[in-house]
Amino acid sequence: MNFELTEEQQLIGQSARDFAKEYLEPIAVELDHTGDFPKKAVNALAKHDFLGLLIPGDLGGAEAGFVSYVEVIENLSRYCAAVASIVNNHTIAAYAIQNWGTAEQKKKYLPGMAKGEILGGFAIFEHGPTPGVGADALVAIKQDVGYVLNGKKAFVRNAGEAGVYVVFATTDPALGALTAFLVEADAIGVKVGEKLETMGLKGCPVADITFENVVIPETAVLGAVNEGTAISAKALAVASVAEAAQTVGIGQAAVEHAAAYAKQRVQFGKPVATLQAIQTLLAEVATDCHLARLGLQNAALLIEEGKPFEVEAAMIKSFLVRLGSKMLLDTCQVEGGFGYSEFMPLPRMFRDIAGTNLLDAPGDFPEKLIAASIA
Amino acid sequence: MIYALTDPAAGMKGISAFIVERGLPGFTIGTVDHKLGIRSSNTVELLLKDVHIPATSLLGKEGEGMKIAMKTLDMARPAIAALSVGLAQRALDECVKHVQKTFVGKTYPGQTLQFKLADMQILVDAARNSLHEAMHLRDAGLPYSKESAISKTFCSDVAMQVTTTAVSLMGSYGYTSELGKFMRDSKIMQIYEGTNQIQRLVISRAVLAPPPAAAAQKAGK
Repeated sequence: MNFELTEEQQLIGQSARDFAKEYLEPIAVELDHTGDFPKKAVNALAKHDFLGLLIPGDLGGAEAGFVSYVEVIENLSRYCAAVASIVNNHTIAAYAIQNWGTAEQKKKYLPGMAKGEILGGFAIFEHGPTPGVGADALVAIKQDVGYVLNGKKAFVRNAGEAGVYVVFATTDPALGALTAFLVEADAIGVKVGEKLETMGLKGCPVADITFENVVIPETAVLGAVNEGTAISAKALAVASVAEAAQTVGIGQAAVEHAAAYAKQRVQFGKPVATLQAIQTLLAEVATDCHLARLGLQNAALLIEEGKPFEVEAAMIKSFLVRLGSKMLLDTCQVEGGFGYSEFMPLPRMFRDIAGTNLLDAPGDFPEKLIAASIA
Repeated sequence: MIYALTDPAAGMKGISAFIVERGLPGFTIGTVDHKLGIRSSNTVELLLKDVHIPATSLLGKEGEGMKIAMKTLDMARPAIAALSVGLAQRALDECVKHVQKTFVGKTYPGQTLQFKLADMQILVDAARNSLHEAMHLRDAGLPYSKESAISKTFCSDVAMQVTTTAVSLMGSYGYTSELGKFMRDSKIMQIYEGTNQIQRLVISRAVLAPPPAAAAQKAGK
């Protein structure tokens, strides 16, 4: 088993680190305060080819592979997880088009997405317990003109900024079957709601999207009709691996900051870094971070090689639901009252990491898949 | 209440406590601190330059500052415990409301969710009980330093754990609601009035106190 990144993967990771230091570090604090969409940073990402990392070369992408992709996400997240989250949500929409799209759909959207001219969004969640169940579930009715969409999608990230959304709508209520559609932001009847106030990851917009008699052609169906659930499950599993990289990036940056702080903060006549209790806190976070990185790289390699990866993705998700937020709870503890202040960087990371390790919906537990896989 | 060094050479025994009124010449407010949580409770720097106060402003005796601070903290810690229990209980209440609303008219989902709620309730109840124990000892006039430290540590750890679980359990709803504030507020409970690491020092000293026989022998010498 080879745990070594290739030279190319290391180079891509390093270039993301350099990019983040130059473009994201200077804006991270302001972004956290204003919550405004970081247009300049997103343009710079596009210019440096970070928006088409998985997209094939002949469609204008970097075709860098998933291992390189998670390296990029970790390194961006070290400086600004909100921007990494924008990239993640864009990339997962592109991933769905790349994997389930027709040749025409790919040609229509992917070159623009690689260049950053079209940002992607992924609209799966609804306010009901599962899509298709609630009162305002998004339903697509087949008519002569194509499909007519009515209803609402909840908590869509990149909402209002995306040019194309991968939207999941109920096409067979009796079966509870969903179908994926490509819906353009300027389609008549698509209304992006007010931007929601979030705890962290500010700058990555989140809003509900309402669909009122939105007519879309049959050519906008992504993948097979009534196969949306399988598409969303696989795309969300891929997304959870990238989100794990986001968590590890935040956690790693936090533990490095806390370790440096502990070396210069003197209590009881010596740096607190010399105290066992502090060493334990730092060591546990560094360990969790390291193991999470190994786990997510393992899942990323499986994705890159086209092998089954769902169980490994569920494991890393389960691991980080338990331990992701703890990385910041413990590093904040090391920095004590000073670290609780907004002039220090950990409070922002604390809010960002909490938003990265969410369960997608009540009742959706990665442990189910893991338990079923144990032979 | 301001603690100041009155005899730097005496270390901990050279600290005294003073009551200083706002508005005295030389007494100014420095930087206002913006914090992760408890934002409406302001935290500021106090700057004192040649502030004159009468000897009657001394609280207790000179050099007793540390003792007064420690005794005061015995009382202050359960207050932090009570704040923590309130935060945790509210976070749990919001989760229960959310689950009931989401699954209205349907059976509640799997045991993972049910057990998470049960664990939250176990922790909140145990936390409240530990606080009540400390307060019961105090009201009875019995020593309660250890129990005070235990209740502060346990209740604040519980608040942190329960509010974090609540945010993750409610997913995007948690992240876009007041739950995030409860999580941010809980963090300081583990830090101020002595970090929970300091509390553990206090508790471990009590746990490792010499056995009664050895203590009696020492006292006899």
